Amino acid sequence: MEDEQKIRILLVDDEVKFLESIARRLELRNFKVMTATSGEESIAAAKKNLFDVAVLDLQMPGLDGAQVLKRLKERHKYLEIIMLTGHATVETAVECTKLGAFQYLEKPYAFDKLIESIKDAYKARLKRKFEHNEKRYEEIQKLSLGSSPFGILKALARLDNGEK
Amino acid sequence: MDNGTGFETREDLVFFGKISASISHELKNVMAIISEAAGFLEDLTKMAQEGKPLQLDMLRTCSREIMEEIDRGFDTIQQMNRFAHSVDDDVKHINLTEVVTLMIHIAGFLSISAKVRFDPPLDADLTIVTCPFRLQNLIYQAVVYAFESVGPTGEFRVGIIAQENGSMCISFSGLGTKSLRQFPADETSKMAVSIGAEIRLSENSRKMDITVPKRMESWEHALSQTAVPPD
Repeated sequence: MEDEQKIRILLVDDEVKFLESIARRLELRNFKVMTATSGEESIAAAKKNLFDVAVLDLQMPGLDGAQVLKRLKERHKYLEIIMLTGHATVETAVECTKLGAFQYLEKPYAFDKLIESIKDAYKARLKRKFEHNEKRYEEIQKLSLGSSPFGILKALARLDNGEK
Repeated sequence: MDNGTGFETREDLVFFGKISASISHELKNVMAIISEAAGFLEDLTKMAQEGKPLQLDMLRTCSREIMEEIDRGFDTIQQMNRFAHSVDDDVKHINLTEVVTLMIHIAGFLSISAKVRFDPPLDADLTIVTCPFRLQNLIYQAVVYAFESVGPTGEFRVGIIAQENGSMCISFSGLGTKSLRQFPADETSKMAVSIGAEIRLSENSRKMDITVPKRMESWEHALSQTAVPPD
């Protein structure tokens, strides 16, 4: 499979061996994976590269998973994020959901469950992008009916602002 | 270790619970890595069944990783065992180097990436008589504070100096200012008093000394030092 057809995953965990194990298994299943061992590194990676789904460990030194989740969601609105945790609690699950996490998985989990979650997250990302694009298309159509060419250009620029 | 006030029982239990949770978290990480490695072996087997060439280097890497994680798991279980047995005797002879090493190791189970260098003197007699559980609690709190103070990329040093009067000084140096909490907390100070230890923190010189007596006063005396007077 060509690289551009693969789902792009950002995998973040400070437990390096765990990170490497998951990454190579995901690569065998035709996902394109980039790894980061800290929250800071993952934010920098997301700035430079385009990802469809991020898989974040909750407990990390420095910026923890919840802080990274918040920052990534602020900067990359279509990125879906799956949280992993060694010890799940209702409180952290609720907090992560409020911050916009797509799903919350407890380690160790069945690998197929992770694959399923990534695929669902990817579908959710496409759906949200599609709905957004459709809405924009409708707005553009409305604009083209009643505005001058310059007015259309200005409105398009406004609609395009902030897109990533 | 209950003196009837309930204070010690609760603080001691909190510490025991915290360490148990931390160790179980570490073991869970070990199991997660083994589980992924086993899954990877299964993936390779399936691929081989489908006619794809078996990648021997990947098999080798995978089996080495499993062995390393099993060693790490055994090592963690051994530490858990030593920690669990530290409540067997209220007061006993302990080797300070072993206790400090154990607490540095266990504190490292928290998601901490900072580094610590521990250089105990090799030729000195570092045996003391104390309450091992309380001493562990005190050293653990100090190590965690030291980790926090230097931040995720920092480094600090720990040493032990035998004093002329027979007491021992556990010395922390190279500390930072990144910790958001005050050290020692009231509970930690009371814990130190209960075993006759003294904590001296000098933020300007980024140093902390914990002095512990060669032989702790009787347990009854120690308890009377921390007893909460009745209302």
